[in-house]
Amino acid sequence: MRYKSQSVAYWYFAVAMVLFGLQLVFGLLSAAKYLGPDPLLYILPFDVTKVIHTNLLIVWVLCGFMGGTYWLIPDESRSELHSTKLAYIQLVLWTIMGVTAIIGYLFRYGTGNKLLEQPLPHKIVIVICMLIFLYNIGMTIRKSGRFTTTEGVLLLGLLSSAVLFLPALLHYENYTVSIYYRWWTIHLWVEGVWMMIMGAFLAYLLIRLSGADREVMEKWLYVIVGLVFIAGILGTAHHYYWVGVPAYWLPLGGFFSALEPAALVGMAMMAYGAIRRSGLAHPNALALHWTVGSALFAMFGAGLLGLAHTFPSINKWTHGTLITAMHGHAAFYGAYAMIILAMISYALPQMCPSRPDKGTSLGYWAFWMQMAGMFGMTLSFATAGIGQVYLERVMGMGYLDAQLKIQVHFLMLIATASLFATGVGLYIYDFFRFRPVFDQAVEPAAPGADPADNREPVRGSV
Amino acid sequence: MTTRQSRIFAVAATALSALLFMVLTVDSHRQFQELTQSQNLTPEIIHGKDVWHKYNCINCHTLFGEGAYYAPDLTKITQHRGEAYLQAYMRDPSNFYDEQKHRRLMPTQDLSEKEITDLILFLDWVANIDNQGWPPRPILVTGGFAATAASAATGDRDAAPPGTTPVGDDDDSRAKGQYLFNTAVPSCSACHSTQPGADMAGPTMAGLVARTEELLASGDYQGEATDVAGYIRESIVTPSAHVVPGAMYSAGGTSFMPNTYRDSLSEEQIDNLVDYLMTLK
Repeated sequence: MRYKSQSVAYWYFAVAMVLFGLQLVFGLLSAAKYLGPDPLLYILPFDVTKVIHTNLLIVWVLCGFMGGTYWLIPDESRSELHSTKLAYIQLVLWTIMGVTAIIGYLFRYGTGNKLLEQPLPHKIVIVICMLIFLYNIGMTIRKSGRFTTTEGVLLLGLLSSAVLFLPALLHYENYTVSIYYRWWTIHLWVEGVWMMIMGAFLAYLLIRLSGADREVMEKWLYVIVGLVFIAGILGTAHHYYWVGVPAYWLPLGGFFSALEPAALVGMAMMAYGAIRRSGLAHPNALALHWTVGSALFAMFGAGLLGLAHTFPSINKWTHGTLITAMHGHAAFYGAYAMIILAMISYALPQMCPSRPDKGTSLGYWAFWMQMAGMFGMTLSFATAGIGQVYLERVMGMGYLDAQLKIQVHFLMLIATASLFATGVGLYIYDFFRFRPVFDQAVEPAAPGADPADNREPVRGSV
Repeated sequence: MTTRQSRIFAVAATALSALLFMVLTVDSHRQFQELTQSQNLTPEIIHGKDVWHKYNCINCHTLFGEGAYYAPDLTKITQHRGEAYLQAYMRDPSNFYDEQKHRRLMPTQDLSEKEITDLILFLDWVANIDNQGWPPRPILVTGGFAATAASAATGDRDAAPPGTTPVGDDDDSRAKGQYLFNTAVPSCSACHSTQPGADMAGPTMAGLVARTEELLASGDYQGEATDVAGYIRESIVTPSAHVVPGAMYSAGGTSFMPNTYRDSLSEEQIDNLVDYLMTLK
């Protein structure tokens, strides 16, 4: 840890870890309900466990993004943060918002609009937190006078996240119009600006871990941003299938979302190329596992599995089945959960002096158990979904009867989800096992371990 | 590629895509009214949409295939189930499905009567939105392999859905009736099976003739028909003339079966259906 103010990141990560654990509790509960019958039918019905499961994901992933950014910016700008006090206020507000929203959902206090269930007061707090955050980061960069491409991409991603949240604050009388604008927030977050954040984190980690040349990495980053937006903006069309919008969104969605894997393949190539050319220039091999793993799993989950059902002629059969759950789980985990776990794995040894630099063996267990578990979950959703599509959509069997026929896949889902949850449990335990020490600046483990700092940065703006 | 070129690529790609997206957004707004028939949006329908949100329906069900995957898609539900059925269902779903059998059950939501009525109006508005003909084949709540398709109503031999035998004008009336049983909107087979003992939202049609003969002889019959064919015709045209006992079939003497076939089917089509159903001894 070069800069004392980077310690705020630890607390963001700690909150994210707790919420991640809680997310899995509600995920497992939801999965168990697929097997049924449900003893909690009138205490904690499926709609409640599901809304909490997805909302905790949004809250912890954004919390991780913010923590990761507070860690990255001082390193990149070579400066302390503008205000740690603001950062802590923001974290407290964010946590209160997240926790009270979850408690509210237990009592059905929410908007009932998929993924945007946060009540209006909570949405306003989200906007306030984002504004504090952008101000704090912006001031840090301005004061330091050092603005790298990685920062530029990251900042533009965060700024657009805030702007794209605005349509979610409005009220629409026409359900189709409300769907139209809901995807401005959700899709353009997930497949647009969050990808920029992921790309920036990835570039930062690869520069630090592999010693890859900054100029090469940042050039890649521009190409990735271009690809993300060509495919991502017009790829919103694949959410406009069959919802009552003009028919031209169908071919547009098919064409542009077929391009979406390009950016993810680009990221995977960037990671592979960096490692191949520069090797490992940092002792933290565990963080490298997470970094490269994230690029590859995102290519598989977001890219390949998204492509699998994105063409209108296929999607008309698979739309609204467990095929979507297959893609959703693998994509979110690979692209966003893993990049945050990579950032945490990289930052943690620098905040906890007693923690080994190369990662603990428990950390490796956590990595591989999560990999195996999430891969198994993806397969369970895929097999269940394929069964559902053929029985229910193609053959015309009733929904409830088809669900009974695919019970065995739900058993497989619960088994692999338990493996995944154990891996996450180990990661969380490993996170809290070592005490952080913030009162002295901890030097990087090996001299010259951060080759990025030895090179002249490329100034750039996006 | 130099850094400068890659930067230009990033900026230009983003700007162009965003511009095209904005143009298409404006054009979509131009078409929303026609596609969604937004002139029909009454305060009741808008209230129905608020009910849909208030009870968090989308975190179990899907609408337009969007939502959670724990409960059936409801996009076209008002074309599969009549209003009377849906009202009774919303009052207490456990009358209709057995949690032990289906392993999941919708909890009773305690909606007010006004909320139920408006919710159904909202769902009916949704069912009539032009969404490029999705789903391509009706998504049924329960039942097995009922081969149906809205497009099949044309009677085009090539467009006949799998599992049905296509018919032409000079085919036997009973064959045409069987085809209609699977393809009328809403299709009979969405609620009635032809398997013995397989009662779905409506009673099974297996053994229909024998059962009806017993009914007509028993004196429990409330309608005006004098023979089996007359009874079947009456059931299609005025479903509430005689109701089969059971809380999942009727409430307050009103059958849950849609009473729209009187208008949606021609006289000849009703004759075809009766001829077909008369074969189910």
